[in-house]
Formats: sequence, structure tokens, C-alpha cells
Amino acid sequence: MTVEFTATDAAGNLFRFADFHDAGAVITLHRGDF
Amino acid sequence: MAALATRHHEFLAAGARLFAITVDSPPQNSFVMTDLALPFPLLSDPDRTNAITPLGFADEKDPRLISRPGSIVVAPGGEETWRYLGRDYADRPQEDLLLDQVAGLGLSAVGQDTPEVGDPVRGPNGTSTKALPTYFRGSKFAALALRGRYRTLGDEFRDDTKLHVQMTDRYIEAISAALERRA
Repeated sequence: MTVEFTATDAAGNLFRFADFHDAGAVITLHRGDF
Repeated sequence: MAALATRHHEFLAAGARLFAITVDSPPQNSFVMTDLALPFPLLSDPDRTNAITPLGFADEKDPRLISRPGSIVVAPGGEETWRYLGRDYADRPQEDLLLDQVAGLGLSAVGQDTPEVGDPVRGPNGTSTKALPTYFRGSKFAALALRGRYRTLGDEFRDDTKLHVQMTDRYIEAISAALERRA
């Protein structure tokens, strides 16, 4: 399965994971509420 | 996240960039990134619709719309090669396990830009980094006490508490490293 998602980075910019498909990646998900 | 940050260079050397996701707002994530001196982006998906739910990590039992902890290893081109979905909020993959999965892909080293941050705002339930070692020590000794109290529960419970104790030890070390990076 191809992993694609969008999110907002800490500076408020749109982040597209598809822009980083040129290399390997580890996506880590955290519960937050920090 | 702090434990991943201390080994960020190992992930890059093995060919993988790191990306973290929470439901928290960009200002809250800016606070955490600054506080932990994170060298990788902490991304925001506040309503879980863009990343957390599509990736299959939404915790449907939690009314606060949080994510279950876990990780996905992705090959160049975007193909998912491995995932760890935490059973609950305290079940997280070991960093060694993630590195082994990345190493198995046989990739060339890669770089990762220093992530941008905005104006930081501590969340209403945010804990200062300096308080985290105490928090993790409490978690560690609670697990040790329960392991001693319920020895009759068998190997699975013993092994699970052992992993939990090892995790808290790694996190305590990682917080010290974060404070050094920040100084």
C-alpha cells in the first residue's frame, strides 16, 4: 500500500508526504495532548 | 519522540527520514519541538481526517480524538513495508526494532532539513521536559511493583512489564540528551 497523507507542519505550512517519496521514511504517531 | 531524536542520525544513515504526527496544534507542536530540540518535523492533524484516520491509527475508544501510538516504515516510492500499531497509549515500538526494519530495506543514507517551527504555545496538559524523567520513573516503578505483585500471571505479563521498564529507561536517557541538545 502506498502511504500518502497531508498534515500541517509546526510553522503552519501544508505538509504532503508524497513530496518525500524520494527516500525511505519512518512515520511515528503519538497520542499528543502535550 | 525524544528517544527517536537521539537516534535520528542512525535513521538517516540507514536511509530513512523521520516524521511524527499528533492531534495537537502547530503552536503546541512548536513548543514540543523546541522543548525537546527535535531534529525532525512534528506534524499536526487536529481532527484526524488527513493522516491519523486514513493511516489506521485513530483511537476510537478515546473521546479526545487522539492517535494510538505506533510507526510505519515506508520504502522509497511510498510503499509501506512494516507497521507497529500500539495496543494502548503506553505500547510503543522499540527504536532498535524500527532501525532493523529500515536497515532491511538496504537504502543509501539520506539527509533531512531542519524543521521549521512557529510561535510555541504549551498545551493545557503539557508537561515540561524537565519534569518528564520523574514522570517516567513513576511509570517504571509502578510497572515493577505490579510485576512483583502479580508473578502468577505468567511469562506474557512478565515480558510485557520488562519491555515497559526498558522503555522508560530509554526515555529517561533520551530526555537527558534532549536537555543537552537544547543547552
